[in-house]
Amino acid sequence: MAYSVRHITRFRYEPAVRESVMEVRLQPRTDMRQRCLSFSLDVTPRANIMVYRDFFGNAVHHFDIPGQHEVVEVAAQAIVEVLPPTPSLATYACDWEELDERVAEGDYWEMLLPSHFARPTELLEKLRAELKLRRQGNPLELLQELNTELYESFEYAPNTTKVDSPIDDALEARRGVCQDFAHIMIALVRQLKIPCRYVSGYLYHEDKVKDRSPAGATHAWVEAYLGEMGWVAFDPTNNLPGCERHIRVAVGRDYADVPPTRGVYKGEAASELSVLVSVAPIDAPEPEELPPVMVIRSKPLNSASSLALDHQQQQQQQQ
Amino acid sequence: MTATAQPSRIRVQPSFVRYQYETAYDEMFSAPGVPREHYQALHRTLLGMPQEELLKRQQAADLTFLHEGITFTVYGSKEGTEKIFPNDLVPRIIPSIEWAKIEKGLTQRLTALNMFLRDIYHEGRILSEGLIPRELVYSCKHFRREMRGLNVPRDTYVSICGTDLVRLPDGSFAVLEDNLRVPSGVSYMLANRKVLKRVFPTMFRDYGVWPVDHYPQALLATLRSLTPENCQYRQDPTTILLTPGVSNSAYFEHTFLAQQMGIELVEGRDLLVHDNVVYMRTTAGLRRVDVIYRRVDDDFLDPLCFRPDSILGVPGLFNAYRAGNVTLANAIGTGVADDKAVYAYVPEIIKFYLNEEAILPNVPTFLMTNGKHRNHVLQNLEKMVVKAVGESGGYGMLIGPHSTAQQREEFRARVLAEPRNYIAQPTLSLSCAPCLIDGEVESRHIDLRPYILMGEKVTLVPGGLTRVALRKGSLVVNSSQGGGSKDTWVLREGNGEDRVAKITSFERKAG
Repeated sequence: MAYSVRHITRFRYEPAVRESVMEVRLQPRTDMRQRCLSFSLDVTPRANIMVYRDFFGNAVHHFDIPGQHEVVEVAAQAIVEVLPPTPSLATYACDWEELDERVAEGDYWEMLLPSHFARPTELLEKLRAELKLRRQGNPLELLQELNTELYESFEYAPNTTKVDSPIDDALEARRGVCQDFAHIMIALVRQLKIPCRYVSGYLYHEDKVKDRSPAGATHAWVEAYLGEMGWVAFDPTNNLPGCERHIRVAVGRDYADVPPTRGVYKGEAASELSVLVSVAPIDAPEPEELPPVMVIRSKPLNSASSLALDHQQQQQQQQ
Repeated sequence: MTATAQPSRIRVQPSFVRYQYETAYDEMFSAPGVPREHYQALHRTLLGMPQEELLKRQQAADLTFLHEGITFTVYGSKEGTEKIFPNDLVPRIIPSIEWAKIEKGLTQRLTALNMFLRDIYHEGRILSEGLIPRELVYSCKHFRREMRGLNVPRDTYVSICGTDLVRLPDGSFAVLEDNLRVPSGVSYMLANRKVLKRVFPTMFRDYGVWPVDHYPQALLATLRSLTPENCQYRQDPTTILLTPGVSNSAYFEHTFLAQQMGIELVEGRDLLVHDNVVYMRTTAGLRRVDVIYRRVDDDFLDPLCFRPDSILGVPGLFNAYRAGNVTLANAIGTGVADDKAVYAYVPEIIKFYLNEEAILPNVPTFLMTNGKHRNHVLQNLEKMVVKAVGESGGYGMLIGPHSTAQQREEFRARVLAEPRNYIAQPTLSLSCAPCLIDGEVESRHIDLRPYILMGEKVTLVPGGLTRVALRKGSLVVNSSQGGGSKDTWVLREGNGEDRVAKITSFERKAG
């Protein structure tokens, strides 16, 4: 299945700011499961775009805008082909012993140790006890069950958590967005000594399926390493296994490794972040109506001395 | 308190009556009252000099430190945090033969540690061969995954190193810890020398001491030899010193070194990155920067890449670094090699990369992640020194013999909660050296921090910072914990014996 993806991020500052420096992770990955056939990135005001590959193999584009500016717009456009999942995958399902051997052989520590967002807390421990989560049966089935249990125990509720919320916020309220679902699942899976990582990307929404996560936003889910099966995807927000509708952009230990955009600027300003995401099959006609735009506003900082300081640009939460 | 304030005291010359001979190695005396050969001349000078004269010289030295603003900052104290760095007048003397071994040992150690850093940020041979547990490296808070696959000029990650050595009771030197991030204190080494030369000019000359004054030039040459390949067409690379600013404990040193090297001292806000190139804002416009001697910790260098709340850094600096357009000295991510748990593996690291035995041994170290070690340590806490692995400067440690039961309980809980964060070592009796305390010579515990530079070649300035635990009986030499320092004399040849006659004649003249 081939998709055309558009992802436009716009920052508006009032008054103007200067010396914006930005890094974006927007180029879909090319690997065994998908191919990024084309990718383009446009930045306004004009800037020199440079690219490198980070330590997880994600393409990172970066640029800087030294002069005064009120708007930064980053428009990414990609054509991606997602390969259908191998149907016989489950026959490779391994038992715990095999899995442990595999993990010990390879270099998976990064995805086993606690990371910035995905770390054990008291509330997580409570949830683990409640779900009676422990090694049993076979790893694949256990994670499939966990995927469903998380879907059922948490309400999907936008605007209840923020982009930098620790998992305890969602654990306490029992609701959140895909970013929270993913972080909670990662932390739980790592406690089972199964390597688990965060995937940032998009989900294609078909009309006939009711997904909890909305169209018009980026999405996040997890991948767990299950021996011979490799990295297997789970989407606890929508109670889905990884499928042909998941388009993978970047992988990391958690959101902190792979935010779609990250930047700093100098100047004191109120800022407004708006994000537009559209995912459509490549052969579909151009949609007449663009999906809604997500807008987040921030108040300016009050201290006058902060003019020369670097301010963090707002980040987009994955929904 | 001075001698003149005590009329009852008859003696006018300093004595060694209050000098305590301990079980620890004594730098000056081989037996009570019997000075070692290389200390004989100094011993005689001290005995031959009127106490009043010594006190005068100490005052003169203190004044110089005050006037030159040689200070350091103690964090976490409410009153004036900036203090004069206490200095002791009696030099510490190291014979050339001992220094030769230190020099060889430290060169070997730093060579191996640089190879280790290159390895863990590239192929990871030492990890895949199982010599060092992967978990130990990845769980180190100074491990920078961003550095993976990134090449640094000359494969030199640590080009400026300060290694802490201690002398064990048998007289041999051992490494207590490596400082591979932003080692400080070298300005005190230079200041001590400057003052001592003024206070004891003749004795200094006659002893035949290796100079240390060329350190700033050697440092500059080292930095310039690390100019990125991309910039090598440039005749005169721009080298700068990046400081966190006036509130940093070593700010004095930053200004001092920048001035001695004749390079710009800048803060993060003076720099900007455009199209992967670092520029310095000057009154004449932007100027390209090639080499940065940074005295800012990794975490604060680039808010885009590391701590986003850092206001000390330069956004985009890491990208310029990755692109090979600027050199940072030391490189980013060197802290993983001076992690105190990794320290325990250094002898094996040397063996692995160089196929040699370590010339300078480690001190015995217990890893708290090892259950057996942990039990042993927790049962003998009052005999142990427990240290947090990622800390330096004497913060976050427990000195067993000098601790209260409450402190021990606190550390027991901390170790059990986070075993990876702690190591323990048996309490070492650091060697003792004579120090001038209120006009009398007393013995105090000391260590030694030599500074090693690694660029095109390895440079060890003969000497280093001898740190003194000024509190009687104390084993903590860190300046932040009430330590001071003294000048370190490395002798050019022999052990000073041949010069004794000469100096005796000087004493007669002076007396």
